[in-house]
Amino acid sequence: MVEERDKLSTAESLRSTRTYGKFRCHNPTCMGRLEPKPGDKEIECPICGMRFRVAWVKKGFPRIRGPVWEHNRKIAEEALKKKGVE
Amino acid sequence: MPLDRKLAIVDLTSGDIEIKAIPLGIRKKFLGGRGLNAYLLLNYTPDDVDPYDPDNVVLLAGGILCGTLASATGRCDVMTKSPLTGLLSSGNMGGFFTPELAHAGFHHILVKGKAEYPVYIFCHNGEVDIRDARDIWGLPVSDTQWAIRQDLGDEEVKSAVIGPAGENQVAYANVMTGIKNSAGRCGAGAVMGSKNLKAVAARGTMDIKIAYPEEALEFNKRFIDQITSAKVNQTMGTLGTPFIWGATNSWGGIRTRNFQYNQTEYADDIEPEHLDEIAEETCGEYHMTACYGCQVHCRAKYRIPDGPYKEVYDEGPEYTSQGAFCGETDTPNAITLLTANHLVDKYGVDNLEIGSIISWAMELNELGILPADKLDGVDLRFGNDEAVIEMIDRICFRQGWLGDTLAKGGIQASDIIGKNSFDYLIQVKGMSNLHSDERATPALALNCALASRGSDHLRSRPAIDLYHLPEPVLRKIYSSPIPYDGPLSSEHTEYIGKPYQVFWHENCYMAVDCLGICKYHTTFLGATLPNFEDWSKVLYYNTGLDMTPEEIWDVARRANMVERMYQLREGLKRDDLRKGDMLNHRYFDEPTRRGAPDVVGRVIDKEKFVKMIDEFYEYKGLDKEGNVKPETLKELDLEKEPSHLL
Repeated sequence: MVEERDKLSTAESLRSTRTYGKFRCHNPTCMGRLEPKPGDKEIECPICGMRFRVAWVKKGFPRIRGPVWEHNRKIAEEALKKKGVE
Repeated sequence: MPLDRKLAIVDLTSGDIEIKAIPLGIRKKFLGGRGLNAYLLLNYTPDDVDPYDPDNVVLLAGGILCGTLASATGRCDVMTKSPLTGLLSSGNMGGFFTPELAHAGFHHILVKGKAEYPVYIFCHNGEVDIRDARDIWGLPVSDTQWAIRQDLGDEEVKSAVIGPAGENQVAYANVMTGIKNSAGRCGAGAVMGSKNLKAVAARGTMDIKIAYPEEALEFNKRFIDQITSAKVNQTMGTLGTPFIWGATNSWGGIRTRNFQYNQTEYADDIEPEHLDEIAEETCGEYHMTACYGCQVHCRAKYRIPDGPYKEVYDEGPEYTSQGAFCGETDTPNAITLLTANHLVDKYGVDNLEIGSIISWAMELNELGILPADKLDGVDLRFGNDEAVIEMIDRICFRQGWLGDTLAKGGIQASDIIGKNSFDYLIQVKGMSNLHSDERATPALALNCALASRGSDHLRSRPAIDLYHLPEPVLRKIYSSPIPYDGPLSSEHTEYIGKPYQVFWHENCYMAVDCLGICKYHTTFLGATLPNFEDWSKVLYYNTGLDMTPEEIWDVARRANMVERMYQLREGLKRDDLRKGDMLNHRYFDEPTRRGAPDVVGRVIDKEKFVKMIDEFYEYKGLDKEGNVKPETLKELDLEKEPSHLL
């Protein structure tokens, strides 16, 4: 067990799968990769049309701050109508 | 050696104190922390004891790695029988208390009996005293800790204490340390209050000998690199846990107005970036702080910028406070959030539970189930910030009919309120659900139903399920340390493969709770954070205990099974809506209405959900009714429990 000191653990080996400068669309079955340009404050998902406000944890590290409320609300209302939920 | 740390058994009725070594055989079966606490609870409490009976015990413990060279080992596990649920009470907090306790020579403190008058327990360099706390009784959480330091003439004393909520036996009062670290949810603070126990304090200067110090330090560099390089921890170190609430609210995974909606719209005032601005304005650029030996720094320092508590200092808020005091009550205002967060820290009450019960009462009022003449003059409407603040005071001091009723906890309060009030109580096993709404995420819903201590996200939630990780990545994570070749799905709206994920996380979180490491240092929110293989090395270098990743997995399974045995002994039944593994009907009947287009209109499919429970039981080694199979007891060497070996 411990003699394998230098061998990477499963968790360590997964580091190579990390992506930087991107995040995923928050629509669960869309999950498109979005890559805002440095300093961008909003971004729209080209796949499902949801729009998000962008915050920067640090340079090169964006995150979704929250939805563009009015825009995404309209999309949600249309989807709800289409699904026949009253 | 960490393995030398002792168990102290304190009988408050007789004043007797017994100090015991923890046998190596017991260590290998349960390690320490939550696992060993579960063993002690099962062994030391009589069947069906009333939570407030002196025969109930309270356990406080550090993990086996507490106080070593490993990172973030300041966790304190607090366990007892819960006055909120009548089942297992288990809470876990960070801070600096248990490392001090370990330096005082102890890993586990077991308290039984009831003192004649308020006391506190002081553990110091191998000794334990019971001291008078009559002058301290009545003080808030932070003041209590300073009063104890003053009483002992030592500013380095650390203590786990109760506030007024615990003294008043609010059924969800916390045990706390520091400004805000809380062993919460199930009312351990109320049990301490029932014993006239104000605090357990510690001060120690005893060495903790590390088995292989050079290797331990060297490996910890890798461990720290793994932790600090994770994007989730970099975000947490900047914004704290509020980023989780913000991200979840963005797509519609937050319960709002009790359970009417699944998103708090226009919540910009409580978004993490705004809270971060307030913390920076009031406490300066370096406003993030941490628990013992932790590199994440997830806790913000702040002063309340306005309102009746203007300038008052506190820490947090955590995402649970955003959910409790903003989302569920539909009051998304920063001042309300920071004020309510301060009050629960001051009084020593669970933020999540009190916010949930206030929002439940708001919905009952809206529906006419809770009539105006029962409100004691409080305008208990959703969106009323003043009502949220007022109700925290009333509940913690049990003022008026409503404050006193809600202080008893949801199920007892629903029995008193009557009508169909129980139908609107969002709980499992008597404990309120987190502020998240899981109607679009079956795996997370399954976790709520099956978590050992009641509805809870910290016992088995596969939070990384939300990241849409590719199947090969999921396969790598969930096939270690035990091979798994069953189905897995990247879709978090799916049902397939989720029971195994919940089972794996149940064992992952139990393992970390036995070791005493914080969950933000494992596969909870980040897929690349350490788990079983890494712990095997950390454990060996620090303690000399040579255990494979598979053996640590077995410890976790065993400890989880002991918790299950305790729950079954105390009345858990699979489909019992009060004491079972089932969700409130609204998960199955009421579709979501807000959020992302693929989230709106969702309910949990009950038939598929029941099948998921069946599948989870099979992985865990339970029969169809949720009882432990005899072969599982044999496999986990639990046939003779309670064994009374310690």
